[in-house]
Amino acid sequence: MSDQLVFWGLAGFITLSSVAVVTVRNPVTAAVALVINLFLLAGVYAFQGADFVAAIQIIVYTGAIVVLFLFVIMILNLDPEHLRSPRPRIWEHLVLGVVIAGFAYIGYRFLDSLDVGKVASNRLPDNTYDVAMILFSNYLWPFEIVSILILLAIVGSVAIAKKPK
Amino acid sequence: MPIEYYFSLALVMFLCGVCGVLFRRNILFVLMSIELMLNAVNLVFVSGSTFLKNLDGQIMVFFVITVAACEAAVGLAMVIALFRRYGTIKSEFFRILRG
Repeated sequence: MSDQLVFWGLAGFITLSSVAVVTVRNPVTAAVALVINLFLLAGVYAFQGADFVAAIQIIVYTGAIVVLFLFVIMILNLDPEHLRSPRPRIWEHLVLGVVIAGFAYIGYRFLDSLDVGKVASNRLPDNTYDVAMILFSNYLWPFEIVSILILLAIVGSVAIAKKPK
Repeated sequence: MPIEYYFSLALVMFLCGVCGVLFRRNILFVLMSIELMLNAVNLVFVSGSTFLKNLDGQIMVFFVITVAACEAAVGLAMVIALFRRYGTIKSEFFRILRG
């Protein structure tokens, strides 16, 4: 019963904040809604027993990526009329409805075709230890390659954002 | 909880992200919607990993988060460069490819 309560609470607020991210008109509000969304998603991960993923979700996503968004909004120093988007036109609403209906139908068919039971409520013990064991044995090469990717991203973003001479 | 509930939640998040990418004109909103879609996929990975009692899904989430961080850094650098060049971040003003 308390499991149900936790899940529906998290799911409700995640849905609300996802809708808020794409519908609000001010980017700062959207970024704050994104923080709430990602934080609650970390709660879902912890609820499922994925402690390590929940921790890096909070540290990397809410701590680094969204703060990067807020920094860029600050650096751009936009006028209030730049910050606002124009209201979508009527045909855009129609296409939006069709797209949503199509995706929802595909998702419904997929979920309907699933024949699976409940997510195990007994948590895997020592989640972080087990993840580390797999990460540094089977996935050692991808782990190292990702470090090169991060280095390239650092150099690339500095080169792109640099003021041209 | 049935795993379908988690997948439905991920579906709702992904739909919000798709709508944001397709219908927002502000590039910052488009990038945030991409983050939303990546997180929906992460939720599917973690739910499947918990359901199958196999930790490979959580490793994949780790890599997705890393790539998302790189993508956000490069994308936001491009936003700054575009704003410097064109003085706006609305996507309808970037129409060089339209010919």
